[in-house]
This record gives sequence, C-alpha cells and structure tokens, in this order.
Amino acid sequence: MSFVEPTTDTPTVMIPPPQGDRVIDVHNLDFFYGKNQALWGVDLPVARNKVTALIGPSGCGKSTLLRTLNRIYDLYAGQTAKGEIMFDGENILDQAKNSEQLRARIGMVFQRPTPFPMSIYDNIAFGVRLHRSVAKAEMDEIVERSLVRAALWDEVKDKLNTSGLGLSGGQQQRLCVARGIAINPDVLLLDEPASALDPLSTAKLESTLMELKDSLTIVIVTHNLQQAARISDYTGFMLLGRMIEFRPSSDAFVSPETKAMQDYITGRFG
Amino acid sequence: MSATAKPGMNYNRGLHLRRKIYNYIFLALTGIATAIALIALFLIMETLVVKGIAGMDLHVFTMSQPAPDMQGGLLNAIVGSLVMCAIGMVIALFVGILAGTWLAEYGDGTVLATVVRFLNDILISAPSILIGLFVYELLVRPFHGFSAAAGAVALALLAMPVATRATEDIMRLQPYALREAGMALGANRGLVIRSIIWRASTSGLMTGALLSFARISGETAPLLFTALGNPFLSFKLTQPMSALPTTIFQFAMSAYDDWQRLAWAGALLIAATVLTTNILGRALTRGSTQK
Repeated sequence: MSFVEPTTDTPTVMIPPPQGDRVIDVHNLDFFYGKNQALWGVDLPVARNKVTALIGPSGCGKSTLLRTLNRIYDLYAGQTAKGEIMFDGENILDQAKNSEQLRARIGMVFQRPTPFPMSIYDNIAFGVRLHRSVAKAEMDEIVERSLVRAALWDEVKDKLNTSGLGLSGGQQQRLCVARGIAINPDVLLLDEPASALDPLSTAKLESTLMELKDSLTIVIVTHNLQQAARISDYTGFMLLGRMIEFRPSSDAFVSPETKAMQDYITGRFG
Repeated sequence: MSATAKPGMNYNRGLHLRRKIYNYIFLALTGIATAIALIALFLIMETLVVKGIAGMDLHVFTMSQPAPDMQGGLLNAIVGSLVMCAIGMVIALFVGILAGTWLAEYGDGTVLATVVRFLNDILISAPSILIGLFVYELLVRPFHGFSAAAGAVALALLAMPVATRATEDIMRLQPYALREAGMALGANRGLVIRSIIWRASTSGLMTGALLSFARISGETAPLLFTALGNPFLSFKLTQPMSALPTTIFQFAMSAYDDWQRLAWAGALLIAATVLTTNILGRALTRGSTQK
C-alpha cells in the first residue's frame, strides 16, 4: 500500500466542536525539531469536558502536537513552535507567558509511568505544594480525593507512606493520573498512557478517564483505535505532520471521509 | 555443523584442526594471565594479612606513635586520616555533585561542558604527586608551614573529579520522562533536579562518594607535601597532621622492628577500609538496579 505524501492540496476534513465549547484552539501550528519541520499548519479545536483522541501512524506528529499544548518541549533547546494555541484568551506560544503556571492548568501523563522516588502520598503532595501552601489536614483530603478519582484509593489507602516505585505498572500510571489531577488542572494531556499496561490495567485506566471527563478536558494520543473509539468524543487523524481529518468520534470510525483515514482505520497502513 | 559437512562442500580438515589448536592456545594464554593476576593478588593479601595481624593489638588503636623500642600505636595516624579524609570528602562532594549536576543537566551539549568533562577526565588520572606539589605551592609555601588543612585540600582535589564524573554518570541514567513529569506539574528545572533527580540518584551518589573515599584513603604522595606527618595526636588544622599512609611510609623505611610491625598493621587497616567501602559501594549499586 502506498499513499501520496499530503500537501496543502490534500483534502482535509474538519468538523470541529462549536466555537464556544472550545477550551484550547490550535491554529496553523508549525513545529520544528531544529531544522526539521514536524508539524505543518495543524488545527486542533479541543472541546471542554470532552475527550479528544489523536490517532495516526508512528511519526505522524500526534505526540509532538500534544507536547506543544503545555509547552513541555521548552525543555529542549532547538525545538520551536510557530502559530497560535489559544487557551483562556491568550496564545500560549507567546514566550512571555509563564510556562510553570500554564502547566499547573494543563497537566500531562506520559507513555511510561513516571512515579517520583518518594512515597505515594508525597508523589501527590509534591505537585500541590508547588503551587500553594496547604495545611496537613487539607493535604490529606486532597491526596485521598485525587486517589479516589484516579480509582487507586482502595488499593493504596493502607500504604500511603510506602514508595510509589513499589506499585505495579498500572497502579503507577493511575498514581500519575492522580498526581496530575491533584493540582486541579483544566486540561489533562495523555501521551499513549496505556501502551505499557496490560489489558486489565488499561480497562481500569479508561474507566478512570471516562469519570474524570465531568470535571476536566482530556486530550489523549493513542495507537489503539478501539481505545480511541471507546472513550473519545472527538478524533483527530494525523499523517506526516498534518491534521487530515477531525470529527466527532461517533462517525469517525464508521464513515471517515478521507482516503487516508479510511486506509488507516481499516488497517491498510500504519 | 562442520563435522557433518554437506556433500559437495569442500571440508578442509587441516584448516579446522589448526583453528581448534589456536583456540586452545588462546584459551590457555588467557587462563595463565588470569592465574598470574590472581596469584599476585593472593600473595599480596596473604603477606598483608599475616604480617598485619601479627602487628595488630589494642595499643594500635589507643596509643600514638611510639619512640623506637617503646610501646605505642597508630592512634595519631588513624585520627589524622579520618579528619583529613572527612574534610576532603565534604569539599569534594560539595563541588563534585554540583559540577556533575551542571554537566548532566545544564551544560549538556555545550562546548564548555565538553571541555570541562575532558579536563575533569584528565584530572581523574593525574598523578597524585602533582596534586601534592600544586597544593604545596598554593597552601604550604605561602603560609610557611605544613598543615592538615593543606592535606585535606589535596585529598579533596583528588576525590573531586571522581565525584564529578560519578554524579554526571548517575544523573544521566535517570530517564528524561522523570524530568518531564516534574516539569509537567509546573516545577522549574532546579526544583526537579533537587527533589526528584537527586533523590532518584541517591544510591548511585552514595556509591560515587564511597569510591572516591576509597581512592583517597590510601594516598601518600599528596600528604607528604602538605600534611607532612606528626608523631603526636593533633586536631589542629593549621598544624602538621599524621595519616596512615605517611606513617606507613615512615615506619616501613625505618630500621626498627616495632615500627615495621606497626606499618604492616596500618597497611592492613587501609586495605580493610578500601575493601569494605568498595563492597558497600557495590552493594548499594546492586540494590538500586534491582529496584
């Protein structure tokens, strides 16, 4: 199977959520790793309190796009983004914006679990303490609430003071979710959060995400099309650094319009 | 495979036999070399343990350097070694951990970091007598006197590059995702390093510290130029101070049997210390990789 490299003429389909429902609005985003361009004029509207899934073959730029949304790429010299990412009325690519405050509002969970080398309790308290000073009693409450929402409380409530590194992979990933939501962000970004987990842990993580949706907006990058279909409200299909098709998930997997997305979801490439 | 050559294939029995013989010769050579190394090590250890234990008694730890043919021990040397090594390690770890952190986290990829790393590697293998001479010019001559402080600085300069290298190496082993995870919560770079990366590196840093301690605990040359040695128990940093290696040097070269026996006891003490710290260091590394 071969396909033509997408250009500006490649047909793209955008069926975005209504303007007023968007919490993040990406316009015409270009991204560069040094001199290599990885994203080409990407648009991504993210609907409030919905799950938006980004799918596409490896190297299509979906993780890169996700990593611009909290400007985590700032860590690396030579990585630059151009365009517009509107969040709360401001362009977050504006270098003057405080990226630490931005990341308090846009949290992130990574592909592999990244528990800190400290107790389960402190893993969660760490992020909270970064942004405000909290009394012990309130912190206890925040830790419990976050773990309950991440569906981990019952498994760890008796060993909060043991190391987070001692948990299983699935538990560690839910600990990372708990840590992310403890600071009460508006948006949670997840970069293939289930790719290192077994099916049972994946199912638990997915049901956690479904419940979080009520209070939080989720953007998830996934290789797993069933997962995208199961949990997402909107799906963006990317190819070679371009957004090819964006539409509600309810019909994205049934009647994709572009040839490229049809080929991808029927397993003809990728 | 070769024994059951396929029909039509030209199986060269002579070539095969020759290779087999070469293989045995090679195996024998490596075996002999290993045996030589082990025998040498065994002989050293045997002499050290036999003569060291013969010279060992309670006085070694309770009394200071004796006059020839008098009752005495190594207390002044043991205390001197502990004091100077401790001060040296504090300085070396302070500078080494911070410098290693800069190399691993901030300087990464810059020309300056490459130069610093290269110079540091040269320092690691610098002859210790050069370090001694350098500190002699820096801290002994200007102040017109040998001092324990100068000795501690010389030891610090020896341990520093080892600590720097160990810190950089162990911090590089920490996954980048861990740094990103800290940043993604809104922590700045410095905080991520201090409260996450250093913590994740603790056992490796301990190992580095122990290994650099092992490196300096037996050093003699730099101390001869700086702390000189002192027959009396002393805690003054501005005065000459004794140390196990310098005392061994002095006693072993002497004509007195008592002093020679004490020299062996001191040598055994140093060897035991180095061995213990190395084993501790390895145990710590193993503990951390199993996690």
